[in-house]
Amino acid sequence: MYELDMLLQGFQTLLSQPFALLLSVVGVALGIVIGALPGLTATMGVAILLPFTFGMDPLSGLLMICGVFFGGIYGGSVTAILLKIPGTPAAAATAMDGFELTKKGQAGIALGTATISSFLGGTLSVFVLIFLAPVLASFALEFSASESFALAIFGLSIIASISGKSVVKGLIAGFLGLLIATIGLDPMGGFPRFTGGHTELFSVPFIPVMIGLFAAAEAFKAMEDPAFRSGAAALLSRIIPPWATYRRMLGTVGRSSILGIVIGMIPGAGADIAAFVAYNEAKRFSKTPENYGKGELAAVAACESGANGCTGGALLTMLTLGIPGDAVTAVMLGALTLQGLQPGPLLFREHADLVFTLFAGMLVCYVLMLVIGLSSLRVMGRILQMPKSVLTPVILALCIVGTYAINNSMFDIGIMLAAGVVGYFMQKWDFPASPVVLALIMGPMAEANFRRALSLSNGSYDFLYNRPITAVLLLIAACTLLLPLLRQFKKGSAKSEPVRGSTGQSTLAGEPAGGAE
Amino acid sequence: MMSHAPTQGSGTSGMSRTDRLANLIIAVIVIAVAIAAIVATSDFPSTSLATDVGPARFPIIYAVALIALCGALIVNTLRKGTTAAEPGSVGDRAGRMASRVNVALGIGMTTACLIGMVYVGYAIATTLYLSSVMWLMGQRNRLLNPLIAVAVTALIYVTFSTGLQVPLPVGSLFE
Repeated sequence: MYELDMLLQGFQTLLSQPFALLLSVVGVALGIVIGALPGLTATMGVAILLPFTFGMDPLSGLLMICGVFFGGIYGGSVTAILLKIPGTPAAAATAMDGFELTKKGQAGIALGTATISSFLGGTLSVFVLIFLAPVLASFALEFSASESFALAIFGLSIIASISGKSVVKGLIAGFLGLLIATIGLDPMGGFPRFTGGHTELFSVPFIPVMIGLFAAAEAFKAMEDPAFRSGAAALLSRIIPPWATYRRMLGTVGRSSILGIVIGMIPGAGADIAAFVAYNEAKRFSKTPENYGKGELAAVAACESGANGCTGGALLTMLTLGIPGDAVTAVMLGALTLQGLQPGPLLFREHADLVFTLFAGMLVCYVLMLVIGLSSLRVMGRILQMPKSVLTPVILALCIVGTYAINNSMFDIGIMLAAGVVGYFMQKWDFPASPVVLALIMGPMAEANFRRALSLSNGSYDFLYNRPITAVLLLIAACTLLLPLLRQFKKGSAKSEPVRGSTGQSTLAGEPAGGAE
Repeated sequence: MMSHAPTQGSGTSGMSRTDRLANLIIAVIVIAVAIAAIVATSDFPSTSLATDVGPARFPIIYAVALIALCGALIVNTLRKGTTAAEPGSVGDRAGRMASRVNVALGIGMTTACLIGMVYVGYAIATTLYLSSVMWLMGQRNRLLNPLIAVAVTALIYVTFSTGLQVPLPVGSLFE
């Protein structure tokens, strides 16, 4: 088989270039650190390192960037699980169940599961890239504005499933996030909306809001009872999950990886969307969906395999069509061009040796990510051993500096602080923060693509139902949104019926405060 | 979580007075924000493209949805009965007040750090901030507290400024 032969040749070439291998190690390690730090994303990591690749040979430069990309996507999960600080937007999905597992004393297993799932998802995506690139590239071309709009609506429908106890409160949080997402420049006309004259608000300050809602809010909550020392601190003993446990999650990992690959191929859709969609589908197919949001290991596996599955998909469209699948591959496109390589079908013909050596290097990067990730988990887990009186201020200092690092803007830190205060009160009164983050990611994508699709169809709304992919995605979105609402409505009706066979009086079973709406 | 017996005979379980009040206040605030957003969109220009819905359409849709959802929250909250809160001891009430004061002080210190950073820069503001918050949370050792503050500030500086080439604020007093 041609691809297999070329891949084996690629491994041979790679082994003869130790400098490229060394830079892979450096790239992966740096990527993990960058991904773990709040405010820094894989995109920023790649952008920071891009100038360093100017003087390198193409293979070494590209492998280092791939290492940062892969490590960066994975690294966000570490702090998301240990401290509820999503290092990257994709890790916001992992934080939902990952941090709950830490609170239950299962941080080690959660981290190990995240690492292994990231490796499996990413490796599968690279294999798909190697063997199926030409076939799948044509699928990516089917996506235009209407399909991207439908994908965004499908992503938004997930709000109902991550709302926790109260779907109404979750929807309020989601729509509030959508309204906040309209702050900035109008996507079609460039008119500044709700900016109050502040140029800093011309683009949605998404990452400061995310850091504030998750990390700062959690830190403020920790201040309520400084004397409380979490029992989770001692329990980072086991890192590799038992095979019997992980085997049951393999189906979830496989499905999430494929979802990640497909979403990664869609221009404009990245690891953050893939992680949330994978979470939602894992919950839909689970036999115990009620455990999601309360510390379900399969949720962590789904999010991480989905997010890392995205890497191969994004690289697929970038390499075969020259269309970047996400922000990171957009920067990498620049790196390729600087090295004198033109992405597209000709790349595979004229530089086949380099391309397949790069593929071999990507597989090596994922193995390195697994090794470096697993071996550093115990060190990173020592974070939990720190007393809260030291850990909380350190988290807040990282939030401040990480937010500043985005745009070198004190305004962003102000946004982060405000979001932290709002997030603290949201937590207190059972308003979930995840829908806000999801809305900030998907809202701009939904509006921009809807208006673009409407313009492309000359003002007709036909595109909502006469394009198959659009119609299917919208239908799934409707089901995803309505089913939890129906379920909750039925539950509410059932509780209001009197229990028969007793005294005929209503049941006096207690309900948690702020319960189902 | 305590078990609350409903005091009103609606057959649905109730919520505490505080939770009820919080739900209602939050709903009213969000409705006010939504209405303000709708009013603000009246200043948006209408689109020149016949095929575009304009910059105001989506914010209005979101604001109307928010008003409807908050209306549903208010209705659901008022329908639920109020549960009689268990009388807390003086110690419980004092503890809750201390928690609120701690959080308020923490937020205040973070705000002060933000403002201070503009004038005195990252190093001084962060060291003082870390030291204050550690003190607030119980780390009051006179030697360890400042040592940890300086060490963490330096580590963050090395990681971001030196390692990742992210310039940190110097402060307007020192520029």
